[in-house]
Amino acid sequence: MAEQGWIGLALAEDQGGAGFGIAEYVALCEELGAGLVPEPFISVDMAARLTGSQHRNAIVDGSLIMLPAYEENEEVAAADYYDQTVFQNGKVTGEKKFVYMAGGADAFIVSSKDGLYLVRADAPGVELQTEFTQDGGHFGTLKLQGAPAELLQADSDEAFDVAALGVAAYLLGIIEASLAMTKAYLGMRKQFGVSIGSFQALRHKVVDLSVQAALARASIDNAVLVISGDVPATQKAIAVSRAKIRAADAAMLVTRQSVQMHGAIGFTDEADIGLYLRKAMVMVTQFGSTKFHRWRYADLFGAAQNSTENHT
Amino acid sequence: MSEFYREDFNALSDDEFRSLAGRFLEAAHPARLRDPDKRLHWSDAKDWYFALSKHGWLAPAWPKQYGGMGLTPAKQLIYLDEFERFGAARNPDHGIILLGPLLIRYGSEEQKAFFLPKILSGEHIWCQGYSEPNAGSDLASLRTKAVLEGDEWVINGQKTWTTLAQDANWIFLLVRTDSSVRKQEGISFLLVPMTSKGVTVRPIRNLDLHDEFSEVFFENVRVPRDHLVGEVNQGWKMARALLGFERIFLGSPRQSNYALVRLRQLAQATGQWNDPVFREKYLQFNRDLEDHKALFEVFAARLRRGEDLGPDVSMLKVHQSEMFQRITDLMMEIAAERGALMETGKKEVNAARLFLNARPATIYGGSSEIQRDILARHFLGSSN
Repeated sequence: MAEQGWIGLALAEDQGGAGFGIAEYVALCEELGAGLVPEPFISVDMAARLTGSQHRNAIVDGSLIMLPAYEENEEVAAADYYDQTVFQNGKVTGEKKFVYMAGGADAFIVSSKDGLYLVRADAPGVELQTEFTQDGGHFGTLKLQGAPAELLQADSDEAFDVAALGVAAYLLGIIEASLAMTKAYLGMRKQFGVSIGSFQALRHKVVDLSVQAALARASIDNAVLVISGDVPATQKAIAVSRAKIRAADAAMLVTRQSVQMHGAIGFTDEADIGLYLRKAMVMVTQFGSTKFHRWRYADLFGAAQNSTENHT
Repeated sequence: MSEFYREDFNALSDDEFRSLAGRFLEAAHPARLRDPDKRLHWSDAKDWYFALSKHGWLAPAWPKQYGGMGLTPAKQLIYLDEFERFGAARNPDHGIILLGPLLIRYGSEEQKAFFLPKILSGEHIWCQGYSEPNAGSDLASLRTKAVLEGDEWVINGQKTWTTLAQDANWIFLLVRTDSSVRKQEGISFLLVPMTSKGVTVRPIRNLDLHDEFSEVFFENVRVPRDHLVGEVNQGWKMARALLGFERIFLGSPRQSNYALVRLRQLAQATGQWNDPVFREKYLQFNRDLEDHKALFEVFAARLRRGEDLGPDVSMLKVHQSEMFQRITDLMMEIAAERGALMETGKKEVNAARLFLNARPATIYGGSSEIQRDILARHFLGSSN
C-alpha cells in the first residue's frame, strides 16, 4: 500500500503525501472495504496526519507502523472528550483501549489532556494485551507505566474526522460488496422451480437496502465536500457524524439482511457473506462507535442551533 | 417412582402443576446448564436428559401408555412456560418432540414397542433429516432417494442443516420413493441408524463458530424394509400432520424474554440503564414483549379449547423472531466496541454471540418470508 502511495494519499506533496484530496482518500477506503482488507490503513493514515515531518516519511513509506491510541473506555471515542492519561517529565502513564490491530504496531500516538505523544511499542513501561475481534483481527489494550514519550504538534480533531469518514467509506464498500454478492445469489439459487430473485418479497427487500446504500453514498459524498471546504470545524464534525451513522446503520442492516437472504447457508462460517457481517460488526465501532456519533451529533447540533439563534 | 411424578398430572390444578414443575426444576436441573448461550451437545446435556427420564418428565406430550406425561395442551403450555422461565437447557430432543408423536400416531406396534422406550431411556438419540442443499424452503422437492431391493431400502443422497447429527445414533429421514408423481406424493419416512455403513457426517460451523448443524451423506446405505414408518409415499402427509402443536413453540416469547433480560444487564453494567434515550427503546421492547405474550395467549387459548391453531399462528413466529433480532441489534449498539469482540469476560454479556445466534431465528422452522407467504394466503386468499 505504501508503494502505491496510498498512505498519506490526501496529504500535500510537500508534507510527504501524494497530493490528492479527501475524495480520492474516500474512494480508496471504499475499495478497501469492498475487499475486506484487514490492514489498519485508516489508522496508519491518520497517524501520518498527526505526526510531524520527522516521522511522517517513515509512515508514508511503510517502514514505521504507527497507530493512534485515544480511547479509554467504550463510552467515548475522541481524545478531547475524556482523558485520564497523564504526561510528566517526558513520560506517559495511562491505559488506552480498543487499538485496532495493535499487535503489529511499531509505535502509538497516545492522547492526553495536554496533547498527543509518540510512544514506541518496544519502550520500557509499555504493555500490550490483545483480544480477538469478530473479523479475525484484534483490539489492543495499551498499558503505559511511565513510558518514555515524545510530544507531537498536531490537530487531532480534523484527523479524527477524516478517519471517521474513511471508516464510513470502508463501510460503504462492505455494503456494496455484500449487496452484489446477495444479488448474485438471488439469481443463482432456485426454489419452487424458479430463481428466488423472482420473488417480490426479496426484490422489495433488495430495493430497500439499495435505497440505504444510496443514502450512505450521498451522505459520505456530502461530508467530503464539507470537510474539504472552508467551514467551521463544528460543521465538518456534524457532516462526518451524520455520514458515519448512516453508513454504520446501513452496513449493519445490509449485512444482516444479506445473511437472511442467503438462508441457512448464510449462517455458516464457510459462506463468504458472513464475512461482511462480521467485518461490519467491528468497523462500525471504529473512530467513534455509532452510539458516540449519535451523541456527538446531538451535542453539536444543539450547539449549532444556539449559535444560529444568537446571531439573529 | 419420583416424588415429582403423578399418576394423573392433569388432575392437578394449573397452579398445583406449575408449582410442581418449579420444584422439579429446582431439584433436578443441573445448575451449570441453566440459561446456556448456545445449543448443548449430548456430552453436556445428557445429565439433564437422564434426570428428566428418571423422574418421568421427559415427554410431556406423549400419552401415559407410552411412558409420557400425557399432559393436556393447557398443561403442556404451563410445562413450556415454567421450563423457559427457569432457563432450562434444551436437550437433543428430536426423538421426544418430533419422532415420538409421529411413531405413536403412524408407527406399527412393533416400531412403537422397539423405539419409544429407547428414546425415553436415552439409548437412542435422534436427529432429523429433512432439509437438503436444494430443498430448503421448498422442502417437498427433496431428492435423497430410497429404492427397495429385496427386503432392504437402499438410500443415496444428502441431507443438511441436521441439528446435532454428530451426537445422534439414529436419524429419521424424508426420502424420495417415487419421482413420477406430484412431488409431495412421492416421499416416504425412514428410520436409519447413524452407524450404518455409508453414512458420513460432516459438521458445519455456524457464524458463532459452533458446530450445531451437520451435513449427512448417504451412499448405498441399507436398512431393513420394516424401518419405513406408515405407508410408502405417505411421508410428507405424516410429517405435515405433526406440525400442529409444535408450531406454537416457534412463536414462544422465550428468546426475546431472554434477550431483554440480557439487554437490561448490559445497560446496567455499562451505565446506560438510566439514559432516557436508551430507556425509551427498552420500554418499547418491553411493550412489544408484553403484547407478544398476550397474542401468544390468544393462540394458547385456542389449543386449550381443543381447536386447531390455524395458519395465522405464523404471526407469532414472525413477530417473535424479528423482535429477538431487534433486541440484539440494540445490544450491539450499546455494547459499542465490546460488541466487536469474540470473547468477553465470564460475567459480561456477550452481545456479539447473542446477536449472531439471533440470525437463524428468521430462517429455520420456515423463514420469515415463507411465514409471510402463509399469512398472506390467510389474510388475502390465494393470489391465483
